[in-house]
Amino acid sequence: MAEQHNNHDEHHEHEEHIGIPGYLVVFGILVVGTIITYFVSLLDLDGMLFPGANTLVALLIAFFKMTVVVLYFMHVRWQSNLIWLSAVAGFFWMAIMFAYTMQDYLTRSTGVFGQ
Amino acid sequence: MVNVNNMATHEHDYHPPGLQHQFEDMKQQEESVALGMWAFLVQEIMFFGGLFTAYLVFRSRYPMAFAAGSNHLDAFLGGLNTLVLIVSSLTMALTVYYAQKGKRMMQVWLIILTMLFGTTFLVVKYFEYSDKYHHGLVPVTGLNKRTKAADPNAPKTEGTYVNTRSEFQWHDEKGDKIILEAREKGYLTPHEEIGYFTNGELDNNKVRDKVRIFFWIYFVMTGLHALHMIVGLGIMMWLLWTAWRGAYSADYYSPVEMSGLYWHFVDIVWIFLFPMLYLLGRHFLAGGH
Repeated sequence: MAEQHNNHDEHHEHEEHIGIPGYLVVFGILVVGTIITYFVSLLDLDGMLFPGANTLVALLIAFFKMTVVVLYFMHVRWQSNLIWLSAVAGFFWMAIMFAYTMQDYLTRSTGVFGQ
Repeated sequence: MVNVNNMATHEHDYHPPGLQHQFEDMKQQEESVALGMWAFLVQEIMFFGGLFTAYLVFRSRYPMAFAAGSNHLDAFLGGLNTLVLIVSSLTMALTVYYAQKGKRMMQVWLIILTMLFGTTFLVVKYFEYSDKYHHGLVPVTGLNKRTKAADPNAPKTEGTYVNTRSEFQWHDEKGDKIILEAREKGYLTPHEEIGYFTNGELDNNKVRDKVRIFFWIYFVMTGLHALHMIVGLGIMMWLLWTAWRGAYSADYYSPVEMSGLYWHFVDIVWIFLFPMLYLLGRHFLAGGH
């Protein structure tokens, strides 16, 4: 029973994850990310860099925020490989859906002769 | 810590009170529960994924109409709601933290805070939807405010207009301007050249129909997200009740953690909806264009 209890205690240390300071850091990152997204959208990155740069930057920040939420708030960082696989598979299948849909739509004509 | 499930012959086995009999130990049970929840969340990713695909298809066809429509959403309120959801995600993560510690009142207060922020999100959303109703930007005929020419309460911000049939309406000189500028620079897609112009002239009816697609996507996506928020608040009510009764301890807190996964997922959807819907066209107006 003593041995079982030891396992039990280790288990709990493991479950504590990043603690309150860690959660506050993650929270701070998310807030800063949101504020950057809000103000970067006012800059004309499309003109300064290349068309679509505004959208790209906004989505990169969103992806970063999502990764932080999934890893730390949703505890995936400490989960088993099976959970990792499930989470990644979800996004992978969505990427397939985007890719196959767009390879169709982007290669269609406008429906008007000559265009 | 004395087990209640086992017979006298197994008294020496340690058996946490929250362990269901089909599992070997708490670790296996927690992993199984988490896997089940993630299977549900992957299904939710697919559910929203269909709408994100629709967004991708139509925005790639009519990017300028999307930008013009996006400028009629309130980016400040959208950003505020993003922050509100992030705070609610923090309080939810802390709820799980204190559930793991078995601190009952901390859980109760943090769940109440989470619900408060969730409700704040929905209230802000209500004001945004209400603004669209008053400006004839709901893409369904009959769901907009009817406005007569003589109505002194007719909205002034976009210029007074008549909407006697409660239709989706589009009056936007700034939007027309950014479309014409994009045309001068040769940025329009082939679909846009056909989709906005008649005999080389900007055709407001055509532009309106393309902007309407944007507002359809806006309402369906944010509406489905708001529905998830409402369901989330229902889950929080149940969680509040069970936490109040002291159901969760260091040995058993899976329901708190799984409700947290759901709440964070809904937050993630909004993290994407905010830049995709609210921030498309701001740089066209803010820059020297």
